[in-house]
Amino acid sequence: MIEIHNLTKRFDQIKAVDEVSVAIREKTVFGLIGTNGAGKSTVLRMIAGVIKPDEGTVAVDNMPVYDNVEAKKRLFFIADEPYFFANANAQTMERYYSGVYEAFDKEEFYRYLEKFSLDKNRKIGTFSKGMKKQLALLLGICAHTKYILCDETFDGLDPVMRQGIKSIFAKEMEERGLTPVIASHNLRELEDICDHVGLLHKGGVLLSKDLEDMKCNIQKVQCVFATVDDEIKALNGLEILKKEQRGSLSTITLRSGREEVEARLATVDTVFYEVLPLSLEEIFISETEVVGYDIKKLILG
Amino acid sequence: MTSKNSFWASCRENHKRRIWVWIVAVLSQLLVYGGMTMVYLSRIRSFYEGGTYRTRQAFEEAMYQAARDALGFSDNVYPFIMILGAIIGIQGFSYLYDRRKVDMYHSVPVAKGRRFAVVYLNGLMIYVVSYLAGLFVSMVLAGAQGAVNAAVISDAGLAFLWNLFLFLVSYHMMILSVMLTGNRFVTACVYLFLGLFEICANAMKNALSWDFYDTYTIAFKDSAPKLSVYYDCTANIWQLKNLKEAGEKAALAFPIMGKWAVIAAVFLALSWIAYRKRASEAAGKAIAFPVLKPFLKVAVAIPGALLIGSLVYDSSNGNVTLMAAGMLAGAVIICAAMEVLYAFDIRCILKHLPSTGVAIAGVLAIFCIFKWDLTGYDKYIPDQNRVESIAISLDSYYDNYWDENRQYINSDDYIKENMFLTDAKPVLALAAMSRQTDAEDMGQSRTLQVLYRLKSGREKARRVVVDYDDPKAVAYLDQIFKTDEFKRGIFQVMTDEKYCDGVTKISYSNGPVRTAIPAKEADALRAAWIKDMEQFDFKLAKDGMPCGQITLSYADYSQREWYVYDTFTETIACLKKNEAFYPAQLNAEDVDYITVVNYHNELTQEAVDMAVDESVAREGDMPIDVAIDVDYTVTENFTDRAQLEEILSEIHCSYFTSPWGNYNGIEDNYSVNVVFKKDSDYPYERDSYYFNYVFVKGQVPDFVAEATAYTE
Repeated sequence: MIEIHNLTKRFDQIKAVDEVSVAIREKTVFGLIGTNGAGKSTVLRMIAGVIKPDEGTVAVDNMPVYDNVEAKKRLFFIADEPYFFANANAQTMERYYSGVYEAFDKEEFYRYLEKFSLDKNRKIGTFSKGMKKQLALLLGICAHTKYILCDETFDGLDPVMRQGIKSIFAKEMEERGLTPVIASHNLRELEDICDHVGLLHKGGVLLSKDLEDMKCNIQKVQCVFATVDDEIKALNGLEILKKEQRGSLSTITLRSGREEVEARLATVDTVFYEVLPLSLEEIFISETEVVGYDIKKLILG
Repeated sequence: MTSKNSFWASCRENHKRRIWVWIVAVLSQLLVYGGMTMVYLSRIRSFYEGGTYRTRQAFEEAMYQAARDALGFSDNVYPFIMILGAIIGIQGFSYLYDRRKVDMYHSVPVAKGRRFAVVYLNGLMIYVVSYLAGLFVSMVLAGAQGAVNAAVISDAGLAFLWNLFLFLVSYHMMILSVMLTGNRFVTACVYLFLGLFEICANAMKNALSWDFYDTYTIAFKDSAPKLSVYYDCTANIWQLKNLKEAGEKAALAFPIMGKWAVIAAVFLALSWIAYRKRASEAAGKAIAFPVLKPFLKVAVAIPGALLIGSLVYDSSNGNVTLMAAGMLAGAVIICAAMEVLYAFDIRCILKHLPSTGVAIAGVLAIFCIFKWDLTGYDKYIPDQNRVESIAISLDSYYDNYWDENRQYINSDDYIKENMFLTDAKPVLALAAMSRQTDAEDMGQSRTLQVLYRLKSGREKARRVVVDYDDPKAVAYLDQIFKTDEFKRGIFQVMTDEKYCDGVTKISYSNGPVRTAIPAKEADALRAAWIKDMEQFDFKLAKDGMPCGQITLSYADYSQREWYVYDTFTETIACLKKNEAFYPAQLNAEDVDYITVVNYHNELTQEAVDMAVDESVAREGDMPIDVAIDVDYTVTENFTDRAQLEEILSEIHCSYFTSPWGNYNGIEDNYSVNVVFKKDSDYPYERDSYYFNYVFVKGQVPDFVAEATAYTE
């Protein structure tokens, strides 16, 4: 488990990260979302032990990470612009990382290279941006660390590659308990991959929740009530986050369990009702609007 | 077999990232050492083929010497070694400049200490291996030409150590520069700052002292930089090259190498601390430790501004107002430039004004200290009771001094080591007189460089101006000159028991006649001369006219001269014993004629002054050059025996007239040429047509003055 407690980092006079506290559980995919400049990269670099926090702590499996080789053995950090040696090819990078990470699986690495159609002898300098990110991810996966920290790594990957990486993540999580931590400025990039999401804004954490919890606790209902009294009776006591009315069709987002909502609607006279699935985007919109933020401006742009 | 995560595996992996440095280092070492060896040896070989060396042995010795010059201590090599150290240093740790590289290197599970050690040791290995490769190839090249012997190998070994420590200082200095900065340009600036700061600060202090202090002297002061390896090299490499014995070289080189080792160790320790403390996010920034910024700014701005002020002062013929303005402008400009450099943003030009203010205040304070002598530098005369001993050097007296290795040394260094005047009173009295009198008001002013050694262990050097025409000053100088401490401190012949070792030839000359004395008489002659020097005092130094000169020639073709005065009875007796003495007084019977030239300098000067006045009246400005079309020189030949005898009784050979620079005692209007009869038995040197003499002031015979008077 990675435990971040009151993490603060300033660059000159700018507070890039402000008292961030998050716990990243093992065997989950943790998404770190935020706008450019929200502090995602800084948080990840602090988790990776690259930079030292001004205040607060980062503990990887109860070990402080900064300047701690034992903690770093459990991490693989893929920066937003991964660095490869000049004139290096995939094989060169494998040799380096296999010298650094004791558990590096060479066979697996070359197998994955083939699978992703990456030539081990081709100079990385001639790779596309997406190919470089694939290579960095494969190096990270094959390093067999417990945690892999990906900074904007999925941006620029095509859907097929994303699916491929997702599958590998799933397999590695299943087989050896890999815990990916993925930072992105794009909510849609993380929707289908994360189990837990932390939202960063202006250096602070707006929220940090399990996606399932969020999905279970927020429902979107479309219905046509027979009468206004039915509507009042059905919604009475429920926490309504949003309500739109188009003619007699009401679209209501509310905080509650699915069973409870369905039970309520069953007690009143409705012409039609349906509980709809919520996208991660909609959940975030609902969650952050409550605390006064316009998530569309923050993340969806 | 090494484990894949072992230290050596890390070193091997790191070497892969440094291939180009390997190539540069090996190629440059091969080119430098191999190239020098080939060029030096082929030059000697071509000289030999051209007949320069008469014997095979001379040729072989020249080849050995050429190999020593190429592979041993060389003044061509040390800048190259320093540059190589800087390149290897910056290349090894330059990953710290790049955020992407830092993200990778600092996130992988490699301890900081190991990474530092790997990069550091690999850099050292690149230098050592490339150096040894160059040396080995050069040795093979030299060996193939028969130019390698034990001395060459010993020189090469010692030079390897010398260059290694030199490399280490440069290498560590560059590593520290990298650790303190975040990009190559600023790193190079900091490297130059660390390397040159002491030299620049010293130069500035000396320049300002020279500009403002009347009593400032560079004599005796050890103003040489203490920590600059570059200075150590320039100051010692020539001597190291020329010393013959390996032991002598080692004795000179090892203390310097020891000092370099300490400097290198300090730089390395600071580098390590900075490396540990350095934040990863410093990559790309100008300075890695923001706390250093104001200190660095002030440290650069103050000497820089002083330098600008000093240049303005020199180029404005000593205008102090312009100097101060130049200093202020310099401080502001440098501070602004530093701020721009720190932020890479021209808009930051006026940021952090408090530190700019500190720099300006510092510059102004230093200017005021020198301008108004706030430290009382010029007023300083030590209390007599606080003086342990004194050394003085006269700028009018010159002698060749050498050390125990027969290497020539600076006269100030020799006197500092050998003169210990315990009676401070006459020197302090002269210093007090100097302070009270303006040199321009003095009749015949001469300068003494004085070194006060205080009982506290401190040393202070001052310039004292003395009026040779002032009887009080002459009396004080006499007191000083008479002391054995002064004589032993200024005449090396008196203390150096090996002074006559290596003498190959001795001669005595009274001007026209040069006689030979057997070299084995050198010690006897020395003893006689030392005995006679007991009578030496300031009066003799100032007014005495030597009757001749003894010249000792050494195996290394150098020479030493001793003046002989009429009163030096022991010396003259020794010369007579060797049938080498001829009196200064010439016999009219031997002289064919004497030519006297009267230059009439006073008339020439009057004509020049008039021409200048006319030019100023005409052009309104001082002329750069004036020409006068009248020659006031009058030449007269004298053949009359009586006149010849009178002239001969008043002249002195011009070669021996001014051992202490007392030109005022000579009548400078006249030049006297004595031409001997061709059939004379007098053994004058026949290859000279005439011999030049001078009149002592006030002793020109009237008939000479009349005969050479100027008439229009």
